[in-house]
Amino acid sequence: MKPAVPAIRSRESQSRVTRRQSLGAGAAATLAAARTLAPVLFTGCSLGLPARARPIMLGLLHSQTGTLAISETSVRDAEILAIEEINAAGGVLGRPLEFRCPDPKSRAADLFPKRARHLCEEDGVAALFGCWTSTSRKAVIPVCTEFDRLLFYPVQYEGNESASHCVYGGSVPNQQILPAVDWLLSSAGGPRRRIFLVGSDYIFPRTANFVVKKHLAARGIEPVGEAYVPLGHRQFRGVVEMIGASRADAVLSTVNGDSNVALFEEFAAAGIDPEKVPVISTSIGEDELRHLAPREVAGHYAASSYFQSVATDPNRDWVGRFRREFGYDRVTSDPMEAASTLVHAWKAAVERAGSLDTAAVRQALSAGIEVPGPGGPFRIDPKTQHAVKRFRLGRIRLDRQFDIVHESAATIEPDPYPQSAFPGWKCDWTKGGLEQGPEVRIDGDV
Amino acid sequence: MDAPSLSLVPHDWFWLYDIPTHRLAMLFVASFVAFYWFGCVFLRPILRQFVKYNAGANDIIGYVLSCFGVFYGLLLGLIAVTAYQNVADAGASVTREAAALSALYEDVSRYPDPYGQNLRWLLRDYTRYVIRYAWPLQRRGIIPQEGTIRVDAFHEELLDFQPGTPAQEILHAEALRQFNHFLEARRTRLFTVTSGLPTSMWYVMFLGAILTLAICWLFEMRFVTQLVLGGILAAYLGLMMFLIFDMNQPFRGDVSIPPDAFESIFQRMNEE
Repeated sequence: MKPAVPAIRSRESQSRVTRRQSLGAGAAATLAAARTLAPVLFTGCSLGLPARARPIMLGLLHSQTGTLAISETSVRDAEILAIEEINAAGGVLGRPLEFRCPDPKSRAADLFPKRARHLCEEDGVAALFGCWTSTSRKAVIPVCTEFDRLLFYPVQYEGNESASHCVYGGSVPNQQILPAVDWLLSSAGGPRRRIFLVGSDYIFPRTANFVVKKHLAARGIEPVGEAYVPLGHRQFRGVVEMIGASRADAVLSTVNGDSNVALFEEFAAAGIDPEKVPVISTSIGEDELRHLAPREVAGHYAASSYFQSVATDPNRDWVGRFRREFGYDRVTSDPMEAASTLVHAWKAAVERAGSLDTAAVRQALSAGIEVPGPGGPFRIDPKTQHAVKRFRLGRIRLDRQFDIVHESAATIEPDPYPQSAFPGWKCDWTKGGLEQGPEVRIDGDV
Repeated sequence: MDAPSLSLVPHDWFWLYDIPTHRLAMLFVASFVAFYWFGCVFLRPILRQFVKYNAGANDIIGYVLSCFGVFYGLLLGLIAVTAYQNVADAGASVTREAAALSALYEDVSRYPDPYGQNLRWLLRDYTRYVIRYAWPLQRRGIIPQEGTIRVDAFHEELLDFQPGTPAQEILHAEALRQFNHFLEARRTRLFTVTSGLPTSMWYVMFLGAILTLAICWLFEMRFVTQLVLGGILAAYLGLMMFLIFDMNQPFRGDVSIPPDAFESIFQRMNEE
């Protein structure tokens, strides 16, 4: 019997792989590759693609060219810083914030509403932050109302307005100009009773001075004079002569923009001493002071709610953060502080509402929103949608900063319709909105 | 607003640039190899019918592949050089823009305040915008729009300045000249955000790759050998495609031109 010999297979036969085996291996490889690539093909998520939450778009509507650019650009920067801080802290409702920042080119009547419309219609912004002059604000509010978006307005203004789709972050006269007048009338301010009113010729100065005159009239005082000049006006000799002739012992200035340079040059040339005839300006902040010669303005005053020199830790932190981001020589001002805080207030309202819906955000605002701000706690008054503000009076220093010489003991509730000026007019958005009184006529081109 | 495309790879594929580079390379290689192996299993038996009974078919196929490979290799090589040149040009435009920006900042620093201060602020603002906002948009293939507003603001302020002395006149003329250099370099950078190879080139490259692999399917050899050798060729083709794809968009992807030049200037602007 032959021993069993193991079958010798050729090398070729040993290594031959049958078609069935190959197909099996190929199918397995294909399945393995498909398993690996499927998530990529269908979701793209397993190849290191960053997960992106849908961002919330905000509109920042500030002039970046034109006469208002320098002031408005600083406000825009404060808003950008606030947005970046919110994003660094996780965003709003778990979503990052993005912004569009078109340029309305300081053209209040035509480009502001046009850009606002584009932001609402094309960019789908959840809210708008911006405007500077009252003309621009009044032009944008109807667009916001049409598209059901809120406008957050950061600048002090004349009052006599309370729009449902606007949240006002700046002071109204009873929080800024009237306390300044009261200070002049008090022993701390003099007292001074011969007050001259000078302003640029547009809505804010005309209306603000109307309110001031009514306020003074209630105290039996009449201004010794009143003068208005066009925006951008540079010839103030006549005005200063009028002030001299009136024997005024104080000037309340609502002059805006570049005109202040010529106004204070003329004051200095006429030898008006700030100790004897102080000027209280409502539209001069740290940014505007950069354009004025310190020796010509030092000793005069500015009425505001915030100054960079406010000596609190939150303010020092904020100023430090702003300078780190935007430059060692940048300054902060009242509208910038309001703009930054408004962005945080909007965040707080959206998070309380749990939604970006404007009605829900307004509802949250009406429940009372308070956030910390550089100038102190910042609260939106639910009745008027205006900010509750503190009054501060600053004396201009040679280093273009302010010494705070007076500060209201407490925050002041906003009253866009002081009864001395607008009898019968009231606003309470928690109870139906605006209640109109008799028509009030304000002299001049308002 | 999304920038208009200047053709190129269809935008639907731009998400690929968001994948980390090493993974993108693996994806290209895996896709090409998978395609080749898929063809080996399902298409090779059909294609081989054409050459099955021809003696010396492998020699003929090898000859065809060599001829084809020369032209295709040349095409790939030239395209790779073009893509690299595109990256180099974009990098150079960034450097030129940053250098002009730095020189302009130095010039306007000599202006009297508040002009000098305003101009410095505006340039810092522009630089910050480029680093924080423009670059991420460029990485997504979008031409940043709002930098133009900042440039306009600077230009407006620059033109507002009226030199009062002969020295200021010389300085102002130099600043305007430097501003024009800056504008030119900036426009070049923005142009390269969406510039790249035309779509037709991509079609030719991909079709060429498919044909190369299809020719390999015709070879008469053991199946495993076919899988291995062809797989290596497919992997190499995938790598070449990855290289061209990655370089095609200089501002996109992990390995893209960084804003280092601007960051260095911004740091210096904030140090003063």
